[in-house]
Amino acid sequence: MTLAERIAAYREVLAEWLHGLYHGMIEHPATEKIEKEAEDLADAFMLACFPDAFGIPSPVSYYTAELLPYLGDEYEAWQRRMWDRDSLVERKGQQYHF
Amino acid sequence: MARFAFFGGKGGVGKTTVSAAYALKCATAGLETLVVSTDPAHSTSDVFDQQFSDEPEPVADHDGLHAMEIDPDQEVEDHLGELRRQLGEQLSPAMVNEVSMQLEMAHQTPGAYEAALFDRFIDVMRDADDFDRVVFDTAPTAGTLRLLSLPEFLQRWIEGLLEKREKSIDYFERAALGEERVRRMQEADPIIARLTERKERFEFAGQALREDAAFHLVCNPDQLSIRETRRTIETLEAANLPLKGIVVNRLTPEPEEDEEGRGARYLRDRVATERERLREIRDFEAPVVAEIETRSSEVVGSLLADVADELAIEPTARP
Repeated sequence: MTLAERIAAYREVLAEWLHGLYHGMIEHPATEKIEKEAEDLADAFMLACFPDAFGIPSPVSYYTAELLPYLGDEYEAWQRRMWDRDSLVERKGQQYHF
Repeated sequence: MARFAFFGGKGGVGKTTVSAAYALKCATAGLETLVVSTDPAHSTSDVFDQQFSDEPEPVADHDGLHAMEIDPDQEVEDHLGELRRQLGEQLSPAMVNEVSMQLEMAHQTPGAYEAALFDRFIDVMRDADDFDRVVFDTAPTAGTLRLLSLPEFLQRWIEGLLEKREKSIDYFERAALGEERVRRMQEADPIIARLTERKERFEFAGQALREDAAFHLVCNPDQLSIRETRRTIETLEAANLPLKGIVVNRLTPEPEEDEEGRGARYLRDRVATERERLREIRDFEAPVVAEIETRSSEVVGSLLADVADELAIEPTARP
């Protein structure tokens, strides 16, 4: 193994480690944060569409009912989540992996 | 291009009669006219002694006059049925239960009746290219006129929903770091498509009602009716909808000078009271466009033409 090859191999390992560190420390938590935020937004959308499911009357529920055929699975999951949700601190704190 | 005339007022003041008379006047003046009734009691059918359906049909013996009757309860029913069918197509039977509960609920809320009606109004206004004039005889619920004043509000609400949906999809896309499958979601999302369609409908309705419609209120010369009219005027003003005139219906005819007796005294008293009320009505900003005397029997057939003559709303002018 020439010196050049050894340097190349070393650099490869280093690059892999650095990428792993980058992914683990920055990329993944960031993606996770975005994904959580996306889920929260989706839940907020559902609540804005169907507040009457929780007893809050809505002036547009007649129209948003048209979305139900497309939202079937989401609607079910959303209701289950809404009824059984952690506190906001717990939900927001999940990203910190203590 | 059709123009839309709305007649509103408390139940029983004679909206159907006045709308039918106005429609007849328009048709006689050579305009292709459609009169749209929303009364579940189908009184337009009684006026013309002909059964109408929820599609425009020509009125017999009157050239250029068409009529249709919308039954709001039936509309709600149909809407619910259609959604149930779609639901059955797209979801597994196990899922349908939770969702159909929500569906059921949305169609039993107090606003469903008005929402269905309004929806149908928009349909009629969109497909009205065949007519020069469309006359709406609005249902006697307080909600109907209120709803007509709401398209902007509903539009904003839908826009809010649209924004939330787009944002959440956008975030999902970002979290997926460019996976092709998710990237396609934004364009193909049926929710966004439905909401956008809704938004456009409300936009159209808002514009048509502001720029292409005229509202007339029918009222009787009595306290209750006047109070209701005042409230409605405020609603219309708040919504920037143009009130073109007030039609006073069911005025008592005055007896001849030389007549004496119980009947004549009663009539004279009544006329005096009504003169008082009329003064109140004339104080409104909108002009009184017709003062129609009460008839001794239901206004049908040839009596309608008489009433039409008493209406001072010029059909050829923009309504």
